[in-house]
Amino acid sequence: MYNYIEHGKGATAVSTHQEDPEKYAEFMERIEAGEKIEADDWMPDEYRQTLIKLISMHGISEIMGALPEKEWVPKAPSLKRKLGIMAKVQDEMGHGQLLLRVAEDLMAPYGKDREDIMQDLLRGDLKFHNVFHMATKSWADAGLIGWLVDGAAIITQTNMLDASYGPYQRALQRICAEEVFHAQHGEAIIMALAEGTEEQKAMLQDALNRWWPALLMFFGPPTAETTGSSKQEATIKYRIRKSTNEGLRQAYLDKYLPRIFSLGLTVPDETIHYDEEKKKWIYQQPDWNEFKQIISNNGPRSQARLRLRKIAHENSAWVREALATPVVTA
Amino acid sequence: MSLVETAEQAKQDAAYKEALVEVLYQLADDDFIISYRGSEWLGLAPHIEEDVAFSSITQNTMGHAMLFYQLLEELGEGDADALAHERISNERRNGTYFEIKNGSGTYLEEPQYDWALAVVRNYLYEAFKKVKLEEALKSSYAPLRNTADKVLMEQPYHLGHWKTWITQLQDSSQEAKERIQSRLDEAWKQIGDAFELGPKADDILAKEILSSSETLKQRWLDSVKETLTYVPNGDLASELGNGRAKEHTDQLDQALATLSEVYNSDREAVW
Amino acid sequence: MAENEKKATFYKTYEVFSRKNDKSHAQHQFSLLAPNEEIALAMAQENFMRREDVIDVWVVARDNIRKMTSEERKQWTKRLDNKDYRNTKGYGYLRKKWREKEQEMLDEKEILSWKEVARK
Ligand SMILES: [Fe+2]
Ligand SMILES: [Fe+2]
Repeated sequence: MYNYIEHGKGATAVSTHQEDPEKYAEFMERIEAGEKIEADDWMPDEYRQTLIKLISMHGISEIMGALPEKEWVPKAPSLKRKLGIMAKVQDEMGHGQLLLRVAEDLMAPYGKDREDIMQDLLRGDLKFHNVFHMATKSWADAGLIGWLVDGAAIITQTNMLDASYGPYQRALQRICAEEVFHAQHGEAIIMALAEGTEEQKAMLQDALNRWWPALLMFFGPPTAETTGSSKQEATIKYRIRKSTNEGLRQAYLDKYLPRIFSLGLTVPDETIHYDEEKKKWIYQQPDWNEFKQIISNNGPRSQARLRLRKIAHENSAWVREALATPVVTA
Repeated sequence: MSLVETAEQAKQDAAYKEALVEVLYQLADDDFIISYRGSEWLGLAPHIEEDVAFSSITQNTMGHAMLFYQLLEELGEGDADALAHERISNERRNGTYFEIKNGSGTYLEEPQYDWALAVVRNYLYEAFKKVKLEEALKSSYAPLRNTADKVLMEQPYHLGHWKTWITQLQDSSQEAKERIQSRLDEAWKQIGDAFELGPKADDILAKEILSSSETLKQRWLDSVKETLTYVPNGDLASELGNGRAKEHTDQLDQALATLSEVYNSDREAVW
Repeated sequence: MAENEKKATFYKTYEVFSRKNDKSHAQHQFSLLAPNEEIALAMAQENFMRREDVIDVWVVARDNIRKMTSEERKQWTKRLDNKDYRNTKGYGYLRKKWREKEQEMLDEKEILSWKEVARK
């Protein structure tokens, strides 16, 4: 999920039905009736802050998420794969663009823009998603990301397709339409490996073994106590998403585990099974302390990836300076 | 020279075919390597929106390389993937200027990439490609005419895109101006071989497969002079070697090692 | 920030519109950041219309769009449901009348089909 991480040292919401009880009640009525909120509509501060945290983290995760897959773009093993993965990674940059635009419009009243987002990221104040801190070690990782990381992203993103915030919800419609291509792009790579040589099969199993804990972590801790910063409640209360972290993880396991097994693959968890009575998957919890470390930019590739963004940003500062034009701000 | 309609027909005249494949390799290898350099930029452009737009151009360009490799495939040169991935640097015919790195470092580590190089090189390349493809519309080889015609359909967006960037940067801040100018000076010293037709130049002309090197160069100069507010003095040189004669820098070797790393790990496997 | 304070920025907001084909109207796509309209236009198509047909693209600086405010949207876009006289709905009874006179009603479908007839 893209919403369980503290944004950093930014101002935290003053909690607020006190700020204007009448407007607050009207606002809640609107979203409960399924109306969409637009950028210039009145909204409670807590709502704005929740959205900014959620969407800027979602957006920057798309941008940072392009980097691990991009490692395999020039190396893709055929012309067709080179084109497919380029288009896929391009889409992820595009998702970042859509989402950052939405976040930027929300931040505008605070006088913040794209540059502030980049600086927040580089300073470590704006976190990005746990999976994008991980190393990619083989071509199978590139396929696995498209199949299972995007699969997880599809589960969380489709859960927000009816989000109460209009601009976010509209961005998500575009994003989810493209995710269908991402899923199939990933499946195509995986299928070729799963039906390929012994080495290819081994490469695929190895990738899955390495990625499994990160995939479970993707949806965030089941409860706030686990890491102490779950934002589940606010996003559900404000009708941004529908399900809890654990609910989404279960839906993911429902959809993907049978497919994983059907390819002759295993997951590195001997205890995993479906409990017919409880109607849910029982699985070994990933190490949530490690999760906290990872999202605090202490993951295997956190600093290296931030370094790439920093270089890219700094090396082209002259371009942005050269073309900067005066604007009149209200 | 009468029109050669098919690959089968071309293959019946050994000298014709040999000259023809030289031209096709040049077109394919140029697009392929410039697209490879573009793919290294992915995620690292100065601006997110530009990253997305640039990548479309990179993809289109690789698509163009594929079309030319397919023409070679029809002529019995091997399959497109093998042509793209298996040939070592002294089998390649791309212009040397198009193969040099985007900056120091690699795309994986410390990519000190220079947007001025990206803008100058891509602009000069697209202007060159337009001229060469327009000349190819007159080729005696019909499949080349057809492919040139197709590629020229989507190429104007590429040229327009880079023209916008260079037009804006060349007259903006002092720093931008200097960066663009010094990359133009560099280009003038390195782009010369791009206009060559290689060892089969005489046959290429005699058999009317493509126009002369001088025509290409003059038309290109005329077109870029309309856009550039600074044009370096002196003739174009080929300081990095003659790529059309398969001479290359070790920067091409590095690129080939990367782009075929997975492919070469098992050439028989289906990926 | 002070009223009308000037600052230089690369990040100006442009709204992007496009038309899919000759028959479609320009449709709003999304917004992007660019330093000026030339760069905005150079990027717009591939940011939002990579997978759809496009025959025209417009970019408009957001500052140049006067759109309804939140209040105006709430207040100006509501209408009473009593405008049948503007639509064919208010004239449905004619169908029966014409039938009595053994004529068919000239409805929307019929009238718009005349473009084929006119050509003959
Ligand atoms: Fe995405
Ligand atoms: Fe995706």
